[in-house]
Amino acid sequence: MVEFAIFFLFAAIAVIFALVVVLHRNPVVGALSLVASFFALAVMYVLLDAPFLAALQVIVYAGAIMVLFLFVIMLLNLQHVAEPNTRPIQQFLGYTGAAAFGIGLIYFILKYAVFTALPEGPFIADARAIGFRMFEAYIFPFEMVSILLLAAIVGALTLSGRAVGHRASVGTELDKAPGAEAR
Amino acid sequence: MIPTHWFLILSAILFTIGVVGVLTRKNGITIFMSIELMVNAVNLTFLAYARQMHDLHGLMFVFFIMAIAAAEAAVGLAIFISLYHHRDTIDVDEANLMHW
Repeated sequence: MVEFAIFFLFAAIAVIFALVVVLHRNPVVGALSLVASFFALAVMYVLLDAPFLAALQVIVYAGAIMVLFLFVIMLLNLQHVAEPNTRPIQQFLGYTGAAAFGIGLIYFILKYAVFTALPEGPFIADARAIGFRMFEAYIFPFEMVSILLLAAIVGALTLSGRAVGHRASVGTELDKAPGAEAR
Repeated sequence: MIPTHWFLILSAILFTIGVVGVLTRKNGITIFMSIELMVNAVNLTFLAYARQMHDLHGLMFVFFIMAIAAAEAAVGLAIFISLYHHRDTIDVDEANLMHW
């Protein structure tokens, strides 16, 4: 019974903070609400017998990715950006289309995905079981992910660097700086 | 034990909220956060089915999705920084450089 109470409490937290992310005008509030929603989802992972992935959720998602979002919001100074209310027809179509999609999704889950009882025996999904599986069957995708992360680092550095013309002007400023003659 | 389809319904609700964010907002960062929300809803579905089927493959998928979401966040945010340098805004309506 305690399990059900925890499920409903944290499901409500996850949904409410997700709504704040979508509806609030200030992106800083949205990013912090998304962190709260991810924490509630980590509780769901624990209820699903996956404590290792719950830890990863808190460390990687709530810890690393959302801090990256907050840094970018801070860097671009987006706290007070107003969103002009253009294209009302498209916005209305977006709301109704998404609502129809959600209702259809829940309808078909309730219609088809009602399961029998869970299989017998404990479901072992700790770090040991995942590690054995990862370095035996999934060693090739694991290495591919490391290459993908390297490519993402290179891509992010290339994209976020200043434009070439600007970089050239910065170089000439450095040459004119006092002390340049001494070199 | 909590039945699996409750987790599926929670996941469907979170995914729908993410769809609303992507379709109705114009702030690029908020759209990106809605995509992260949808990715997390899919992760929850993977874990619910992994417990139902007693199969560790679902957990491996969630692990790789987390790694790919990190790469995606880094590259996507770099694109928005670049857009802000060029246009002084991250309103996605303004990003029409490839519009015919």
